[in-house]
Amino acid sequence: MKTRVIIFFGLLVLIAAIFISACKKNDVQPGEPHNPTYIDLTIPAGWPTPTSDIFANNKLTEEGFQLGKKLFYDGKLSKDGNFPCASCHQQFAAFATFDHDFSHGFDNSFTTRNAPGLFNLAWMTKMHWDGGINHIEVQPLAPITAQNEMAETIDNVLNKLRADTEYPALFKSAFGNTDINSQRMLKALAQFMGSIISSNSKYDKVQRGEASFTATEQNGYDLFKAKCETCHKEPLFTDNSFRNTGLAVNPFLNDFGRMRITNDKNDSLKFKVPSLRNVMLTFPYAHDGRFYSIGAAIDHYRTGIITTQPTLDPLLVNRIAITNTQKNDLIYFLNTLTDTTMTKAARFAQ
Amino acid sequence: MMKINTLLVCCFLSLVMISCQKAISPNTATGTVKITIRNTVKGNPMVLNTGNYTNSFGEQYNITKFKYYLSNVSVTTTPINTFNGRYYLIDQSNPASLSFSFEAPVDTYYSLKFLIGVDSARNVSGAQTGALDPLNDMFWTWNSGYIMAKMEGNSPQSPVVNNKVEYHIGGFAGTNSVLKNYGFIITDPAGINIREGKISEIFMDADFDTWWQGVFNLKIADNPVVTTPGVLAKSISDNYVSMFSITDIKNY
Repeated sequence: MKTRVIIFFGLLVLIAAIFISACKKNDVQPGEPHNPTYIDLTIPAGWPTPTSDIFANNKLTEEGFQLGKKLFYDGKLSKDGNFPCASCHQQFAAFATFDHDFSHGFDNSFTTRNAPGLFNLAWMTKMHWDGGINHIEVQPLAPITAQNEMAETIDNVLNKLRADTEYPALFKSAFGNTDINSQRMLKALAQFMGSIISSNSKYDKVQRGEASFTATEQNGYDLFKAKCETCHKEPLFTDNSFRNTGLAVNPFLNDFGRMRITNDKNDSLKFKVPSLRNVMLTFPYAHDGRFYSIGAAIDHYRTGIITTQPTLDPLLVNRIAITNTQKNDLIYFLNTLTDTTMTKAARFAQ
Repeated sequence: MMKINTLLVCCFLSLVMISCQKAISPNTATGTVKITIRNTVKGNPMVLNTGNYTNSFGEQYNITKFKYYLSNVSVTTTPINTFNGRYYLIDQSNPASLSFSFEAPVDTYYSLKFLIGVDSARNVSGAQTGALDPLNDMFWTWNSGYIMAKMEGNSPQSPVVNNKVEYHIGGFAGTNSVLKNYGFIITDPAGINIREGKISEIFMDADFDTWWQGVFNLKIADNPVVTTPGVLAKSISDNYVSMFSITDIKNY
């Protein structure tokens, strides 16, 4: 009896699936065979399910990934050809800008915030320090069109790609025909960026039982779990929240963070909690890169927090008590978060 | 056991029906609903750039851009709701955008409904195409979401650079959402009478003058520029929700 129920149930699923797929619109034009190589995003063992399925409406394929990679490294996406995405997002710096508080943009301009590293984006619910971008696919529109970044129009970018000798064929292999439009360009970029996963640092190897911490690193990890873990939640080392960490307002920028997006004064001076993965490569720190060393960033939490700001995170009202020895241990632990497998992976390289 | 099977069948049939909701069965006889929009100012056809207008506060202005989204357009009659999942960008500078058509099952309808703007789901679903392509200059790159309605122009009463007037009205979430469902009940007994293979044409006016008052009195001198979601954008949308009127329905 049980078997019959299972067979019956299976048949119903099959019928439903046929009906449902019959109702879906097919993007590919008839008569054009399109057989891309579908690939899966591998979720590291023990990690949570990604909060947003960024590939739900953007099936990850090898062809889409490769097209996205080419676009990511192509200066054509910028006005004068000098500023591909990769100019500010350098692989060796975990896709942040190495050793720069602000990145350089078109016509000798500066950006107004520190470029974040790009990895584990499938777990990121909102992009930008203020969370203004709600989907990875629409993220590239911001830097491409910003006058102090790539300074180009989407229309011009698409025309350059259409006139190129290689792109029409690459769009065809990724999407079924040679049409080049903004949606396809953005989906391809999302396939590349969303595939960058950082999960092979020493920390990860320790978690998997393939390595062990030194005594100093272990002390640092214990301290981390006691004093940092709430916001920089493992295994992603961020809880994706927005918090005010008591930084003085930079008078040149007057950047009040998330309040600009929500228009809510309770969000004044709140910025996204950045992941601490690869933190030794992503210096300088904070939304405006004001801390040039990891030691300076830790010192801010020990002694620098302005405790009078009304929106200061409740966890920081007493600052964080960390002794000099503990600080040293902590830095040793943070060094274990560097993932050279990702920063040297040929798959993500130009 | 039979009962469980029946339950499963019901579950799956309803799943199948939900998934196919948008499609009209090929066996249903259908006709076409065509909606034609005329953008106006105080009842006169809107003329971009050269038209000189005065609002009820005596402020003079012209209009260089006027565009807005309509979505979820449907004609309804119990139990049919011809939900139309398409998005329309009405752009005064593009005459072809001022009318659009969709199919509806043969019946007589006494209601027309639509959403002014782009429903919230599409504001958080990544890269879109067609009317929703960011190329249409109706998408904010710094704060993801669509500009639901846009007016640009100039006014001597505007204190900002080049006397600009710019209203980019958007925001799809929370208390300052500008999304507006709007509907007409059609009192003419003839209604929207869709016949097989025929067209029923609905003519609507959209009067820009409504943007200045109605719920909130909004002077150019006080608010020449609104380009972020927030209270002001919401107030303008509270005014413009009443810009539409049906001027005629022709059933062919």
